Amino acid sequence: MGRYVTRRVLQAVGTLLLVMFLLHLLTTVAIQLNGNPAQAFFGDKVASPAQLAAVEQRFGLDDPCFDRVGDPCLGPFAERLGQYARGDFGTNLRGREVSDIVAAAAPNTLRLFCVVLITWLTLGMVLGSVAARRRGSAGDHGIRLTSVLIDAFPVFVLLIVYRYVVAVPLHRWAEETFGEDSWPPYWFKPSFDPDHPWATVVVPGILLGLAGSAAFIRLVRAGQLESYQGDHVRTARSKGLAERHVVVHHVVRNSSVPVVTAVGLTFAEALGGAVITEGLMNIYGMGGVLWEAVRNDDVGLVLGIVTLLAAVTVVVMIVVDVAYAVLDPRIRYE
Amino acid sequence: MRVRKAGGTGPEGTGRAAAERDGRTASSRAPLLEVRDLAVEFRTAEGTVRAVDGLSYRVDAGRTLAVVGESGSGKSVSSLAVMGLLPDGARVSRGQVLLAGEDLLTLSRREHRDRCGDRVAMVFQDALAALNPVHTVGYQLTEALRARRGLSRRDAARRAVELLDLVRVPNARGRVKDHPHQFSGGMRQRVMIAIALAMDPDVLIADEPTTALDVTVQAQVLRLLAEIQAERRMGLVLITHDLGVVAGVADDVTVMYAGRVVERAPVRDTFRAPAHPYTRALLRSIPSAASGGPQGADARRPRLSVIPGRPPSPAALPAGCAFHPRCDLAGDLCRSERPPLTTALTTQPHDDASSYPRASACHFAAEVLASHDVPAAASGRPRPTGRRDARETEEPTDA
Repeated sequence: MGRYVTRRVLQAVGTLLLVMFLLHLLTTVAIQLNGNPAQAFFGDKVASPAQLAAVEQRFGLDDPCFDRVGDPCLGPFAERLGQYARGDFGTNLRGREVSDIVAAAAPNTLRLFCVVLITWLTLGMVLGSVAARRRGSAGDHGIRLTSVLIDAFPVFVLLIVYRYVVAVPLHRWAEETFGEDSWPPYWFKPSFDPDHPWATVVVPGILLGLAGSAAFIRLVRAGQLESYQGDHVRTARSKGLAERHVVVHHVVRNSSVPVVTAVGLTFAEALGGAVITEGLMNIYGMGGVLWEAVRNDDVGLVLGIVTLLAAVTVVVMIVVDVAYAVLDPRIRYE
Repeated sequence: MRVRKAGGTGPEGTGRAAAERDGRTASSRAPLLEVRDLAVEFRTAEGTVRAVDGLSYRVDAGRTLAVVGESGSGKSVSSLAVMGLLPDGARVSRGQVLLAGEDLLTLSRREHRDRCGDRVAMVFQDALAALNPVHTVGYQLTEALRARRGLSRRDAARRAVELLDLVRVPNARGRVKDHPHQFSGGMRQRVMIAIALAMDPDVLIADEPTTALDVTVQAQVLRLLAEIQAERRMGLVLITHDLGVVAGVADDVTVMYAGRVVERAPVRDTFRAPAHPYTRALLRSIPSAASGGPQGADARRPRLSVIPGRPPSPAALPAGCAFHPRCDLAGDLCRSERPPLTTALTTQPHDDASSYPRASACHFAAEVLASHDVPAAASGRPRPTGRRDARETEEPTDA
């Protein structure tokens, strides 16, 4: 087990380095082809050559390799790796530390993901289990139809409809019914409120989770169907065990391996979905910050956040792999 | 249904009804497990297919019944029906399964499985698939004891070691925490048997328990089954396609073909002189070891033969006798009329009063019997890898 984890961690570090290098190459090529991002610092104003040079130096853009198209610029890359290693992730264009920005934004994203994850697990396990248990029934078909419908609605459609059609009347109704200082009005607030980070993140989280749950429902259903047909389930039934015991210990337990894998994969995928959700609901989170950084040509911030997201993804994958080995004892020895 | 009417009058009554039907004396009690006129149907895209049609057998305490047939003959399906474990799309369309006189098929599915969990256990064919890969062997051994009899964790752990010891898994104490994939094939099948024994059943149904194993390991596992059965006075239903296995361990044999019983007899009589051409063909297709007997088996035995053709699909059974396309004795009568299972065939009296009277479903049963195709010298022990040989085999450590 220890060796298995060590091997996975080493692989993860390698993956992370590769991602960082690819990111570096992409941004380098973008700079070489599109010109100096230091211009962005000045917005519409025209900067003097001296001012431009000062900004270039400050953001590490003064290396001559940025003027030579096709040069991989290994020097600045090594320099940035060294800074990251010392815990220095640079600043954004306004001089704010990237680590500060992340410290402020990441908790909100994590809150959102907590809600998303709970929504996934609840919907996926409950609806998927029911569909597998009563396969071919009206309930099974209904659940399949629902999941297709959910799939057909992109997240942003759900969010826009919620925000501009449903949220305001609901918010007003909640204020009138429960009073302005109670919790319910905050649940239906159409935009994020930093003073009530949990309450205002619940509904956007549920909607984002809803969008991801369709694939999840089908996966749970398929996994459990396979288990139901397994010989070991027949063995369990031959012991005269109650059906509930058989379902919990031999069907759900055995189908949990692909489910955990899917949670990890969908979690990583949802990092992208969160950009839309955070943007639309004004949540000050990683997605929103990344969105702003891209719009402002803030190369340092983009690099910092994408690197961080890559690191999170890699860590989630390790957790998934270890969970996999714990859930299926056959894995460790392969 | 003349028999079903008597079924409600308790063990005494059912026993008598069974005795009447089998043409036996009325003194016998209700057998441990009795299957009467069982029929199982599958719903398929092509319509309803009858996989088992009119199977009857009985097992008493301390006796072994072998149910023999090729794949697709309905032998496994019938045992699933007995256990209440038929897959979706299959149902029992007729018949009774009497456990000590109580018809399990009239119970709800839950009660049916409940009874079977307590009194009838099943050993499945492929232990690797039949054991749950994600739970430890110890958990699976005592799962039912803990969930249904409320055994404490400590008692369960002790019982798990006892059960593994019982089936002679070496280092039982160290192995209860292992998972099924960490066992070899033979050991895994032993674990499977131990699981079946956990609830101390009265009847054990073993569905091809040795098919997935090496020949040497097969003999060990069979010997183990036979010993445990004898020790505990269990009834054993051994489902197999291998008549060689039957010779070593069974008392009675029921041969199935295309969902129907074609021959039923004490095992010794069957081997001495089979009463159905299918049984005879099966016996001829058993390979014998070259150094089988003192005179050498080859001298006495005709060339190893195969049964021509393939077993029919249950969806398209031939008219008349289902075996006639493959039978060397088939006449016009066989093609048009299905032979009933007739019971008045006993030619020589045998010492064992509790075994079946012989029965064969063949228009020419008398001719088959009279032909004595299988030499008398080979009777009772046609294949030296039976029980006798297994006893002499030293058990290698299988780890």
